[in-house]
Amino acid sequence: MRSGLIAAFRELDATCDAIEALKKQKFEFTVYTPAPRHEIEHAVAAPMSPVRKFTLIGGLLGVTFGYWMAIWTSEYWPIVVGGKAIASWIPYTIIGFESMVLVGALSTVAAMFIHSRIPKITATVGYDPRFTHGDYGIYVAAAPERLKEAEATLRANGAVEVRGES
Amino acid sequence: MSQSTGSAGVKRREFLKVLGAAGAVTTSIGCSQEKVEKLIPYLVSPDQTVPGVSTYYSTTCRECATGCGVVAEVRDGRAVKLEGNPEHPVNHGALCARGQAGLQGLYNPDRYRQPMVREGGKLVPTTWDKALPLLSQKIGEVRSAGRATNVVFVDQHASGSFGVFLDSWLGAFGFPAHHQYDSDADLAVRAANTIAYGVAMPTLDFAAAQLVISIGADFLDGRGAGVPHQLSFADARAKLQNGPRFVYVGPRRSLTGLNADVWIACKPGSEDVIAKALLGAVGGAGGASIKDAADASGVTEATLQGLADELKNARPSLVLSGVSTPNAGVVATIVANINKATGSVGITVKPAEPMGGFTGAVGAEQMDAVSRAAAAGTVSLLFVRGANPAYDTPKSMKFAESMAKVPFKVSFTSYPDETSELCDLVLPDDHALESWGDAEATLGMISLQQPVMERIFDTKATADVLLKVAQGDPSAASKFPWKSYRDYLSSRFPGGTASFTQALTAGIASGSVASRDAGAAKITLPSETPAAIAGDGDYFLMVYPHAVLGTGAAANKPWLQELPDPVSKICWQSWVEVHPATARKLGVVAGDHITVRTAAGTVTAPAFVYLGIRQDTVAIALGQGHTAYGRYAKDIGVNALDALGGTWNGSGAVAYTQSRASISKAGAFSPLVTTEGSARQHGRGIAQALTVTDLVAGRLKEEKHHLPGDASHEFLPGLRSPLAADAQGDLADSTAKEQGMYDPKHWSGMAKRRWAMTIDLARCTGCSACVTACYAENNIPTVGARWQGRSLRPGSATDEGAWDTRPGANILKGREMSWLRIERYFEGGEDGSTDFEARFVPMMCQHCGNAPCEPVCPVYATYHSPDGLNVQVYNRCVGTRYCSNGCPYKVRYFNWHGFGEPERRQYAFPEPLHLQLNPDVTVRGKGVMEKCTFCVQRIREAENLAKLENRELKPDEFTTACAQACPSKAIVFGDAADESWSVAKLAEDARAYHVFEELNTFTAVVYLKRVNHTTAVGGAPAATPVSAAVPTAEGAR
Amino acid sequence: MASFVEPRRSNIASADVQLPGVTDYEQVDNEIIATLSPTKGWFGALAVAIALFLMGAAAWIYQIYWGLGNAGYAPPVMWGVYIITFVFWVGIGHAGTLISAILFLFRAGFRTTIYRCAEAMTVFAVMTAGLFPIIHIGRPWKFFWLIPYPNWRLLWPNFKSPLVWDVFAISTYLTVSSTFLYVGLIPDIAVLRDRETNPTRKRILAILSLGWRNSEPEWRHFMKMYLFLAAFSTPLVLSVHSVVSFDFAMALTPGWHATIFPPYFVAGAIFSGIGMVFTIIIPIRKFFKLQHYVTINHLDAAAKLCLVTSQVVGCAYIIEFFIAWYSGNAVEQDYFWNRVFGEWWWAAWIMLTCNMILPLSLFSQKLRRNASWLFILSIFINIGMWFERFVIIVPSLSHEFEPWQWGGYVPSWVDMAILAGSFGWFFMWFLLFIKQLPVVAIAEVKEIVPPRLRSHARGKGLDAAGHHRDYGTETPGEFD
Repeated sequence: MRSGLIAAFRELDATCDAIEALKKQKFEFTVYTPAPRHEIEHAVAAPMSPVRKFTLIGGLLGVTFGYWMAIWTSEYWPIVVGGKAIASWIPYTIIGFESMVLVGALSTVAAMFIHSRIPKITATVGYDPRFTHGDYGIYVAAAPERLKEAEATLRANGAVEVRGES
Repeated sequence: MSQSTGSAGVKRREFLKVLGAAGAVTTSIGCSQEKVEKLIPYLVSPDQTVPGVSTYYSTTCRECATGCGVVAEVRDGRAVKLEGNPEHPVNHGALCARGQAGLQGLYNPDRYRQPMVREGGKLVPTTWDKALPLLSQKIGEVRSAGRATNVVFVDQHASGSFGVFLDSWLGAFGFPAHHQYDSDADLAVRAANTIAYGVAMPTLDFAAAQLVISIGADFLDGRGAGVPHQLSFADARAKLQNGPRFVYVGPRRSLTGLNADVWIACKPGSEDVIAKALLGAVGGAGGASIKDAADASGVTEATLQGLADELKNARPSLVLSGVSTPNAGVVATIVANINKATGSVGITVKPAEPMGGFTGAVGAEQMDAVSRAAAAGTVSLLFVRGANPAYDTPKSMKFAESMAKVPFKVSFTSYPDETSELCDLVLPDDHALESWGDAEATLGMISLQQPVMERIFDTKATADVLLKVAQGDPSAASKFPWKSYRDYLSSRFPGGTASFTQALTAGIASGSVASRDAGAAKITLPSETPAAIAGDGDYFLMVYPHAVLGTGAAANKPWLQELPDPVSKICWQSWVEVHPATARKLGVVAGDHITVRTAAGTVTAPAFVYLGIRQDTVAIALGQGHTAYGRYAKDIGVNALDALGGTWNGSGAVAYTQSRASISKAGAFSPLVTTEGSARQHGRGIAQALTVTDLVAGRLKEEKHHLPGDASHEFLPGLRSPLAADAQGDLADSTAKEQGMYDPKHWSGMAKRRWAMTIDLARCTGCSACVTACYAENNIPTVGARWQGRSLRPGSATDEGAWDTRPGANILKGREMSWLRIERYFEGGEDGSTDFEARFVPMMCQHCGNAPCEPVCPVYATYHSPDGLNVQVYNRCVGTRYCSNGCPYKVRYFNWHGFGEPERRQYAFPEPLHLQLNPDVTVRGKGVMEKCTFCVQRIREAENLAKLENRELKPDEFTTACAQACPSKAIVFGDAADESWSVAKLAEDARAYHVFEELNTFTAVVYLKRVNHTTAVGGAPAATPVSAAVPTAEGAR
Repeated sequence: MASFVEPRRSNIASADVQLPGVTDYEQVDNEIIATLSPTKGWFGALAVAIALFLMGAAAWIYQIYWGLGNAGYAPPVMWGVYIITFVFWVGIGHAGTLISAILFLFRAGFRTTIYRCAEAMTVFAVMTAGLFPIIHIGRPWKFFWLIPYPNWRLLWPNFKSPLVWDVFAISTYLTVSSTFLYVGLIPDIAVLRDRETNPTRKRILAILSLGWRNSEPEWRHFMKMYLFLAAFSTPLVLSVHSVVSFDFAMALTPGWHATIFPPYFVAGAIFSGIGMVFTIIIPIRKFFKLQHYVTINHLDAAAKLCLVTSQVVGCAYIIEFFIAWYSGNAVEQDYFWNRVFGEWWWAAWIMLTCNMILPLSLFSQKLRRNASWLFILSIFINIGMWFERFVIIVPSLSHEFEPWQWGGYVPSWVDMAILAGSFGWFFMWFLLFIKQLPVVAIAEVKEIVPPRLRSHARGKGLDAAGHHRDYGTETPGEFD
């Protein structure tokens, strides 16, 4: 059975120190920050977000679909207008472009949702409303026997308060 | 079959549903019990009637005295279209706008639907069973009172045997012979002709002449034998450099004048002196000197001398007169003498081949006599049929007032016009398309008139009524053995009943049923001392019959009200024509009301500033200003006769140009209801013309290039060039894989044709008959009626304030729906001189090979058919109107209101007008685009017929409505991809051009340049008047 | 203990603009949330907007029943107020995306405090614009025929038609910009959720916030996603108005058939959009007391952008005239002469004055930094840009190739009622928005507020352990 600790910090540097320390001690933890801060990003040094891959794939799908729809429908009813070619690809570029943007953009958002696990239906464990207000937070998930060690590290690095979560 | 349905006013759709049901199509589609009852009579179909298949009857047009032969297309028991009878010697298949609109007379919603009798001061419906005894009783009273000789019968003027029949009927009761009253007839000319040539209306051969001089003769404005003259004139002009040069002499440039090469603007009333001068020039007796003529007419001597020289040089020539001044008879006589002196009689003027139908008419002078008698109380009984003297005689004659003094007045007129509204008993006549009759086509030719459908209202043919009355009278019965007027005709028909029945197919036969002795009509020798143009005031007032509405009999037909006047392009309105200089002097702009005051009365109408009129003259057209005559005619414009007195033209007709007038700005303003945007081409080469010199020298291109464009796309003749393929994109390329129906080898065979049209501007006179033909064929709604315009104020249908009740309210917003319009552009004359040219361009969808309207439509509602048509799919159209923005020719029209929706007040076809709707063409709903389709329904009909008969289309097998009607034969339609069609040849003519060809639209309509005869006949200096020839008002006194 | 390091690259949002008036995160939350409480003035404004909207709706129903004949159309002027207003609103929309996306990519910090407003404006403007093609067509109940939807007849729209391009461009633009707006709102909604005391509203906000927790992985993906959305919106915003300009450039009509149209329209759109931003943001910063968020520096920077686009648009006008003369095309020349000195001179001069001449005042820094002047100017710009579209559409159509068909045009009361109604519709949505959701992006403002550091706080209110004092009771949280 795993359990956890949640700590609140007031200062950015304190939070960063805590992160460094926890990393040294091989703790699993989640950081909360009222606004994205690069200091924290660097401290955590997490891998690059994979969202961009989805953007690429979505865009390619979109542009293909746009061209295909325009060309197929024209060929299906081969009707001449203004003496132009039945499937005139140049104007169809606009259709292709717009659907590229549409599908690409939507898949980007979808990717963000998937990777950051939202929407969340479950009650939020290891979270405190203060983290959207002004405070930084760290949630440490660990085996019960290591909790003392973790709390010590957090307090040592300037946690204003530390609370048990399970 | 349709007696019940007709009088019940059943809607056409229901009617067709019924037919469908009868044709064993499912009866379950929304057919109420009541409709099923209507099924019964149709279970046994009348012979000759196949549901959905047209039958054609040849009959005669009675809209004017000419008596053109028409073929009535009858579909499901309803006449849906009138077309000229190609076999007919008078009109050879052509038909004017007025003739085609006969249908709207037949289906006129304001026709009397049953007999009417005056009770408690107003006319109330009655039945024939009550009405006929009343008539007999009144006749009995008059006779027993011994006042039979005081009975007056006023009939409309029409040739044929009815007049004889009528006189014999009147005679049987001891009544005097009737008067054939015709306010439009040019009696002076007819009288003079009768004296000079022995016939009232000799055939004119313009093509034989080198020079045509018209002294006020408006033969292209629907005066006299309009269609035959126009045919002859167009054929003459089509001879191009060999055709006649045309000079028009008169104070106002009428439509005829606009077709002339030269306009000599002489002072009204001075025509006789000019004619005398010309007579003198060609060595006739009683001539005048050029100087006298110049002094009298305000035209320079040089001009007149030039004209005289031309007349001398031109052999043969043709001089025509048609002035309507008090001295009209004199002018006509002198002109006849000129033609004799030039030896043109027998060559250009052919008394040997006279036209029928122009004898026996009397004018307003006779009505004046009737009026005086009535006023004196000596008229015991008045019959009137068709004629409308209470409206079309000068107000100063007080015809209406004196008519009131007649104890009993009987009308046989079909419409509630000013005269019959004053009558005590109305016995509505059948329409010509519902009844039997005959006309005198040319002398010795009978043109038969037969009913083409069951009568739609409870009316009776007057002849049959007269028969019944006579047979009810013991003294007269013996003289009238015939069951009906049909029997009368057939029994007296040359060759008897058998040949009568036979003749009905062709509608034309030689011989005569019975024609009135021409002597019966009063021929007045023109008095040598004619009344001069009287009155004071700085201006001459010139009143003239409207080129479309004539003297007003046509005013109750929406097609004709909506048809812009060929000269002014104004519709649904009256106007006063003033010269720009005059307008400046009065400080008026177009639309400012002008009051014209004469001794006889005043008329106020908006000004139309027109180059084609002398500075010392103002002109007003007749035909409007009805105070009755149905919803389409009532309270529109003014009646110019209000300003005229009882001055006659020497032959009993009103002298329409009889007095001077003082004019003043009235203060009010009403915008002109015109279809004209700009009267100038701004050098865009829409209407192109050549001089004979250039034509002969082969200088066919105009110097200035109209629009810069891709020079690599020069016009390729015949439309069989790559552009025809271009019109079909890749798919016309036989190597292309996916070609669908555009494959030249496709089973439908569509892609192998390219429908195209040529319009010869050398022939076109701008008469606008094609426009009306288009309205009739394509169910185009008229939008100008006073109940069709919405005003700015919000409100419900019943809220009058929410309606813009100005006549032509929609047209003021440019919302007319005319798929085909005639554009009238002026060239030159910017300085107000008489030396300007008018060019007429029929403009309709050009069916571009590369149509700018097609690619912009988001829903493919318009696309290009494999056979070269620019197709409009009404039920796919969502109404973005983008196509119209793309169209350089602006020939697409939008349904702004529900003009095609019966439940709306704006409905353009109120019952029973909707019975005329062409079943082959959709009635468009609110919110969709429409435009010329090249009469696609006719194309498909012909193709299907060919398919059924398992053959190819024959060249020129069919044509469009406009081309069919054109009295100038200017429009030719056909397959340009096949040399055997005449359009293919014409498209290669040296004069051919496309409008805006620089836009590379590759139009399917090819125009042939107009040809102007600018150089004088015989090389003498051209008679080109300079602006000095137009004297100022002061100079006119 | 890791030494605190300066970030490798400076924070995006605070590139060049600072908010001296804002000192800590809590202040941001409290001040922004304070703006959400409704006021009498707001209710009044909302009532006016709704009234206008209802009037427009009534006029539209009237027009659908009677037919377009009740609008002022006078052929050949087949397009009128509706298309003018359509282009007008699409144009307005563009500034929003420009500010939120393009300026984001350019790291222009002054966007931070105004972009939320601009973005909302975009969404509502496009919502308004989207109505007009439907109002304009003859059979509005058939508008869906322009959309490629599978149907058993397999009838499809004509993809060669600029109007179908419009359908794609506008619907894509509406979808993407509203998505952009919403995802940008998620962290702020989370803030509202956590500050909210009313359980119902809290529940709703909880759902809207999708359970956002400000966790570091969320932020990581969020920033990446935001970057790519911006990267997509940038070409999109340029393409949309180019496509709108094709509606005209693709027709032969003199005055329309010009290759300069796409850039000319895009510039015009952004110009008009900035005008509308001023019209909206200046009252908001005044009535919401946000002067220390939307500072004069921000307005100054935006005014410079406005000046540049005004110059571009003016340049386009001049080039149009030059080309008309240089092409030697008589029809084109006729038209342009008629536009400026002919029957339409008044419209053309309103356009030139409002869009070219008046904005020149922005060369003066004094006026650039004068909020009242910017507001007045923005009204002129809105009028001028509406008339720009009028001048492009009406005179061209009324003065085409065929002189016989030249005509005039007078809008009817229906046109005007629907035009007014469109403003009602727009401001109805906008007013509802600004009282439900923050008009200033809380999270992004927090990014440019300097974070608390222990080093800052040395000796000030520290406890023995060198830490800040304990939480007071006013602080939300579950610790107590």
